[in-house]
Amino acid sequence: MKASYVIKRILLTLFIFFVVVTLCFFIPRIGVDDPAARYYPAQTAGTTDAEYEYIKEQTRIEYGLNGTTFEQYIRYLGKLFTGDLGKSYTKNEPVIDLIAERLPWTLVLSVSNLLISLIIGVIIGTMAAWRRGRWQDRALLNASTFTTALPAFFLALILSFLLGFEWEIFPAYTDQNMVAEFAWNWESISRVAYNAALPIFAMAIGSIVSYGQATRNSVIAVSEDDFILTAKAKGLSNNKVIYGHTLRNALLPIVTQFGMNVSTLIGGAVVIEQIFNWNGMGTLFLTANSNNDYPLMMGIMIFMSAFALVANLLTDFVYCLLDPRVTLGGR
Amino acid sequence: MIKTLQYIGCKLLRVLYAIGRFFKKLWMHKQGRIGLIIFAFLAILAIFAPLIAPYDPYDVINGRFEKGLTPSWEHLLGTSITTGQDIFSMLIYGTRSSLSIGLITGLVIAVLGSLLGVAAGYIGGWVDTVIMRIVDILLVIPTLPLVIVMTNVLGTSYVVIVIVFAAFGWTGLARVIRSQVMLIKNANYVKAAEIAGASRWYIMWRHILPAVSNLLIMSTALTSAGIMVAEAGLSFLGLGNPTAISWGKMLADAQSSGAMLFGHWWSILAPGVGIFLSVYSFMRIGLALEEILNPRMRKGSSMIKVFKHLNNRYLDEVFASMDDASKMKGEYVAPSASAALPPAFEAADVRTVAAQAALAEAAAAEAAAAEAAGAQAAAAGTYVPAAQAAAAEQAAAEEPFVQRRAEEEAAKQSARENAGQGGER
Repeated sequence: MKASYVIKRILLTLFIFFVVVTLCFFIPRIGVDDPAARYYPAQTAGTTDAEYEYIKEQTRIEYGLNGTTFEQYIRYLGKLFTGDLGKSYTKNEPVIDLIAERLPWTLVLSVSNLLISLIIGVIIGTMAAWRRGRWQDRALLNASTFTTALPAFFLALILSFLLGFEWEIFPAYTDQNMVAEFAWNWESISRVAYNAALPIFAMAIGSIVSYGQATRNSVIAVSEDDFILTAKAKGLSNNKVIYGHTLRNALLPIVTQFGMNVSTLIGGAVVIEQIFNWNGMGTLFLTANSNNDYPLMMGIMIFMSAFALVANLLTDFVYCLLDPRVTLGGR
Repeated sequence: MIKTLQYIGCKLLRVLYAIGRFFKKLWMHKQGRIGLIIFAFLAILAIFAPLIAPYDPYDVINGRFEKGLTPSWEHLLGTSITTGQDIFSMLIYGTRSSLSIGLITGLVIAVLGSLLGVAAGYIGGWVDTVIMRIVDILLVIPTLPLVIVMTNVLGTSYVVIVIVFAAFGWTGLARVIRSQVMLIKNANYVKAAEIAGASRWYIMWRHILPAVSNLLIMSTALTSAGIMVAEAGLSFLGLGNPTAISWGKMLADAQSSGAMLFGHWWSILAPGVGIFLSVYSFMRIGLALEEILNPRMRKGSSMIKVFKHLNNRYLDEVFASMDDASKMKGEYVAPSASAALPPAFEAADVRTVAAQAALAEAAAAEAAAAEAAGAQAAAAGTYVPAAQAAAAEQAAAEEPFVQRRAEEEAAKQSARENAGQGGER
């Protein structure tokens, strides 16, 4: 991995981030003369026009919408460097605070989904590869066609109907006091786990199968290699051949898939959060959308994109550290 | 005048013939037939919805019944809890919005993706750089939130939804087409056309586009499947067209009106099955086409082989580009996601489609070289994996000898070029 390549890659990432920010600045201004018009309070009976103009100007300053569009843009970029994403219109709080408040709750869902599906998927995939062509393998294959065609939110609805309403094993809606009363003790944590079980389950079914399928195919491809034959010929046990030789090499494509999934950690659970009324970034975004709270929506978009960019960058670097055959070098 | 009409008639007949052959091929394929039958069934439901559905759910007076009825002979799936519409009729009418958005967006994406992909791959240079940078940017922004913002700003009519989905969904297709074009543009018949003085537009229209058309149709089927899932998700969030009946909206209504609390499981299951069937049929057609188009897959028709094949090809691509990269001391970038398709496709299908032709071509060239050299056949055999060599022999037998010799050079050169170009991104 050459330093010049790393620098080039980082500069490209910064450039893409800059373009994304620019897009996020201009999208709410499509077809609108005065973007601040959405935020003006109604003119009350007692105020004169001059006073109302003053109130309008104050509102514009409050949301950084005073001056020409270009001035606003420069100010927006400048604020971004200090981590200021503007101020939410409906909640009247800095966007970055709102994001920080909701982020852990989304990560609870998505990180546990990612880890669970990675571990179970790799185990299932290896088993299927080992029993290639038998019923375990076929079952995984059929499951993968079904989960690809079934949207995750439909699975979530079915699960919430069966496990939440009919059998009443898990809560179908999140307990809203869970967030407010959270403390770092066993009771709170188990309560979160109890509430998160269904959403995680709904998300995990699809991704377990997709990890399983990817692992299976990769393991089969690697196990046809010569060095596996050598390992078998040496008289190594089955377990050593699978875990010591095959799986280690077969997991490289899984790293790519894992990296892709990491980049969707924040933005990938919007619909699931909505179904289970989970207090995360997705519901924050949807409420902002229904209230036309553009500063909040754009702040969330920028945050998600930045997260995805960093995740992609790290995945590329990690991949090339893991696999010595890959050389990331400048021309 | 008559000559022009004759010309148009001839062209039309040829197009019809090609379409007929295409459907025949698909019909002969077991998996493709399943997909076609389901698709035809849904299409008939969508077109003749007013004749098939027992009631008109759009009718505010005659289409409203007692709210929350359970299934009976009069209302096969009961009535909805909020409005009292017949759910069975809504299910049939819902086919319209799902299929039309899926198909129309699929077509727009096919046009947009192939234009941009061909331009990026064939013209190259700054055009390529600009298009690929746009792809990079669109891949990073989370798609669903972006679509939500755009519908918020532009409204939620069908036109806006199609435009927004198309504007953010072409990236995957363009990438696939681009890498395929990069292989084709080094083929000898394209070089010959260039030397003969054909213009760029002529070559793109007459040589490049026909060569990627099969790939285009296949990717469009898979993209449409992805779009239908996305549309269902969008209308489930209440952000689709508010006046139309769609499956996603039916699910959302059922959930918000407490169908689950009352135990009305049919009102949730029915739209879900609709979504599943439509997506499933497109997936089947897409995967069957992939199998038909690839000579290595002609024998056998089970899905196991499809998946195994898809992934082997994926690995082949990775290893091949790694080998090339290390040989040339070039650069290699791990392939990253294509945004338009559902996750399970991403790993196996889309990124690898590009490699398909490359490998088939390379294998054919390899086999041709082996045949020609005679004594060196054994040496070549050790180089090519066994399965690939067998397929290559089959492929080679089908191709005229002269073309084989010519393509040997082109394939190697293009594979090298592709590795270099791939690293540039």
